[in-house]
Amino acid sequence: MLQQAEILESVLERYPSKPEYLIFMLQDIQADCGYIAPESMEIICEHANVPITQGYSVATFYQSFRLEPQGEHEIKVCLGTACHLKGGERLVENLERKLDIHRGETTEDMMFTLNTVNCLGACAMAPVAVVDDEYISSTTPAKLDKSLKAAQQQ
Amino acid sequence: MKNIVLTINGKKVSAPPGTSILTAAEKNGIAIPTLCSHEELAPYGACRICLVEEENSGRLMASCVTPVAPEMTIHTDSPRVKDHRKNIVRLMIAEHPESCIVCNKGNRCELRRVAAELGVAETRLYPMPNHKPFETHNPFIVRDLAKCILCGKCIRADHERVAVGAIDYSDRGFSSRPVTLHEMPLEKSRCTFCGTCVSMCPTGALSTHNTFFTGTPETEETTICGFCGAGCSLSLGVSDNRVVEVNPSPDRDTVNGATLCVRGHFAHDFLLSPERLLHPLVRETDEEGNTRLAPTGFDAALSTVAGRLADIKRRNGEESIGFIGSAKCTNEENYLFQKIARVIFGTNNITSTGAAGGHALIREVAEKTKGTCRVRRLSSLENADAIVAVLSDTDHAVPVAGYHIKRAVKKGAPLVVIDPYRSDLAAFGGVWLHPEKGGKSGAFGIDAINALTARLIAEGGVDRAFMDRYANDEHGWLPAISAKDPDALAKQAGIAPERVKQAASMLKNRKIAFVPPCDLLERQNGKALLDALFNLALITGALGDKNAGIFIPALENNAVGALDMGCAPDMLPGWRKISDASEKESVAAMWEAAIPEKEGKDIHAMIEAAEAGTLKALYIMGENPLRSLPDPERVRGALKKLDFIVVQDILQNRTTELAHVVLPGAAFAEKQGSFTNMEGRIQSFIPVVSPPGDALPDWAILAMLARKAGYPEHYTAIEKIRQEIRRVVPSYTALGSHRQEWVKQNGSEIPDSFPLAPLHTPGTGSEPDEKFPFIAYIGSRRWHLGAGTRTARSARITASGRTGEIEIAPADAMDLGIANDSENGGKPIIRLLSPFGAIERAAAVNQGLPKGHIFVPQGFYGNDAMQIADFNALKPPGSGWRNVRVRIEKM
Repeated sequence: MLQQAEILESVLERYPSKPEYLIFMLQDIQADCGYIAPESMEIICEHANVPITQGYSVATFYQSFRLEPQGEHEIKVCLGTACHLKGGERLVENLERKLDIHRGETTEDMMFTLNTVNCLGACAMAPVAVVDDEYISSTTPAKLDKSLKAAQQQ
Repeated sequence: MKNIVLTINGKKVSAPPGTSILTAAEKNGIAIPTLCSHEELAPYGACRICLVEEENSGRLMASCVTPVAPEMTIHTDSPRVKDHRKNIVRLMIAEHPESCIVCNKGNRCELRRVAAELGVAETRLYPMPNHKPFETHNPFIVRDLAKCILCGKCIRADHERVAVGAIDYSDRGFSSRPVTLHEMPLEKSRCTFCGTCVSMCPTGALSTHNTFFTGTPETEETTICGFCGAGCSLSLGVSDNRVVEVNPSPDRDTVNGATLCVRGHFAHDFLLSPERLLHPLVRETDEEGNTRLAPTGFDAALSTVAGRLADIKRRNGEESIGFIGSAKCTNEENYLFQKIARVIFGTNNITSTGAAGGHALIREVAEKTKGTCRVRRLSSLENADAIVAVLSDTDHAVPVAGYHIKRAVKKGAPLVVIDPYRSDLAAFGGVWLHPEKGGKSGAFGIDAINALTARLIAEGGVDRAFMDRYANDEHGWLPAISAKDPDALAKQAGIAPERVKQAASMLKNRKIAFVPPCDLLERQNGKALLDALFNLALITGALGDKNAGIFIPALENNAVGALDMGCAPDMLPGWRKISDASEKESVAAMWEAAIPEKEGKDIHAMIEAAEAGTLKALYIMGENPLRSLPDPERVRGALKKLDFIVVQDILQNRTTELAHVVLPGAAFAEKQGSFTNMEGRIQSFIPVVSPPGDALPDWAILAMLARKAGYPEHYTAIEKIRQEIRRVVPSYTALGSHRQEWVKQNGSEIPDSFPLAPLHTPGTGSEPDEKFPFIAYIGSRRWHLGAGTRTARSARITASGRTGEIEIAPADAMDLGIANDSENGGKPIIRLLSPFGAIERAAAVNQGLPKGHIFVPQGFYGNDAMQIADFNALKPPGSGWRNVRVRIEKM
């Protein structure tokens, strides 16, 4: 919370106290902190003059909002139709075992967050995975392994 | 604007522009099925069951959200519409658990009804039940979100009607559900358990936690809630002569509409308490000199009462008998009760414990308005132009009034909250005036109102014309306050002057609705605060306006009616002063009986007289003074000195333990009668269930007593009492003719002139000192009504585990070293000492309290909070027993 307090203050200064600015404020906090802490949510909702559950509702509606701290690196595995047929699901299961987390979760050392996406629009490269901003085509567990190691060493 | 003409099912209908097709059809007797629409909620279009077909365009549209348009040709049940409806219901059912046979909603399930009407049985779809945890942990609401159809009624009821915001949708699509913040259980959320969502839920997703009954009640009957002064209409579900379920009544034009509060919805299980009084009891003494209360019949018990009271009257005079009536009993009962006291026993010693529960405020405002401005509808409050809430306790004491304030704010009415505590209302938006740097001054409220008043005068924001016409400034208040510097007054109150300016600019030239707390005159400096408030109401012209004025929340269901019926030592029915000989004579003529000359004793004087030995007997109806009055030990000592105590009540309680005769009465749902609510609405009701055991309606017991005591008039039916009330009390001429009547006002709406009160310099009262450095306020929490004699007998309220911690400001908790304990989940036990007594309870930090303030919730632990209060503070004019200086000892 302490990390978010200062950023929060500047966010609140930027927007008038109206419900229509709720999403803007959530986005700004998300962009600066990587996630929206419960206390920040409370303060933002109070500033926007909406019930705090409404902020929660908005934040869970959009995939882009996170309510928990995210790992340093994000792994996205595509589970769109093409990737699904080419074994995307197996990639995810593999990562779940390897990192000892479920999809949507973050490793204990806050290094990786594993997410699945529905389509990245790169079906020709199926199965696709993205580590941070690096796209991996025809992904295999071995290729993923290499990317994760590279990310870790950055 | 001109009405729009369209055709629905071949019938030409017309409706004002903006009407939905659904409403237009319903108004013309054409029913369209729907699962998500409710007349009190904004149209939403979630369930799509109300689809209709428009012939010209061939479109299918949801009739609840489509406004009527000229020349529309609508079919509400064409084959195409029916086909679509069926498919929608099939999809809902495919997702729904097949558990109808064991579902709490039983025959009230709207999904099942709609499915049956459409002929949907087996869906022939792949079942995809959306399993969610079955939540039964709290004693009020069972949540089985697997049965949710996402109609959003619960969410909309929460946001639009009760304005709490405890739940909202989560996620998207199939996994979306109405959830609390971070999907916590309800008891860990902001939910107040008003149950409004439960009554609206069309499926078994939300149902009442009921450990003693499963299924659909046999009958449902309407009555009026017996708890607070809002006077909500209830629909009681009855099976086997037991009230098994409570919902808001579906009648129109009720106070509460579709809402209720936790007490109204869930606490009525006290009616089934094993501690209900079932038989008349008379104290017997055995050979060894031990006494006990032995069951007997009404005839024997009432003979004892009539005989003993007559005997005491003969030996010690009329003044030696006292009568305590009840703001919980009906108008008819209070009328008969005071008449028995005055005519049969010849004493004006008739009062109620309302002296400690809100009567003073009702009386004072009636005095100031000269008996006018009696009707103050909560629906007007909802449409107010601006609201000033002072030390408001409506959220807890009279929750339904609180909903109306919040709805007004949601509609855009500016809200100014004057309160040192950060209540829910203070956090609701608007401007909150409070001592920003803390402070324990009991004069804060007065200073704040004066600052606001001076600022409004300085900016010309008051209604000069109204003031010149109606205000009588005999004490020179206006020049005195005009001479004050608003900023200096603001600083004196500890408020930043800009804050007061902001509030004044919001209120400027508006007709303001003022909402004081129901216990205002039981607080320190309450009278002076009311004077300041009243002056402000007067100069802003609020008193002459329909949606403005002073809205007095009443703590008890019939606080207003009991006073109207003359349940007061100085007043006859219809607010006729005993000191006024002509008024007294007019009543005496109607009664054809003499009325005692002298004004009677109020509650304080009665207890003192009992201590002194001049009062010998008390007849207590529907009150539990040993629980509801300050300093219960002193009250007990006084009552023990009496020769004879009669208690007529519904529950065994501490006062019945001292009684010589106990008469079992009937609770509100078990009798006929009428209550008058805080709005001036007289609501008549009939029994829904019969009283338990031999218990009888209180009016019937009183009628039998009158007969035993030799009174010639026989009140064999309630109608006989009503006839007399209609004759004697001018404002009740319509009593009983309809389910709802309004208190009638003779003559003009407002008097020719109101006196402006002088500018007060606040008295010191119970200011904290070195020995007792904190200032405590004994107030309400929504789980209990007043002293909690009834709510504490509610199995659900008890099971909710609310322990009524003593609430302490964060800074004080830190100083005392108890903040950390409470963060760890453990609740430190503290001892709270006042000059009058001490209590021990767990403590909790309340972030909304300023340093130096302590909140002690009433009603918990046998209402032990009264032990720290000062009985003498009840002595008129009352010095505010609810505020007391205290110190804390850590245990």
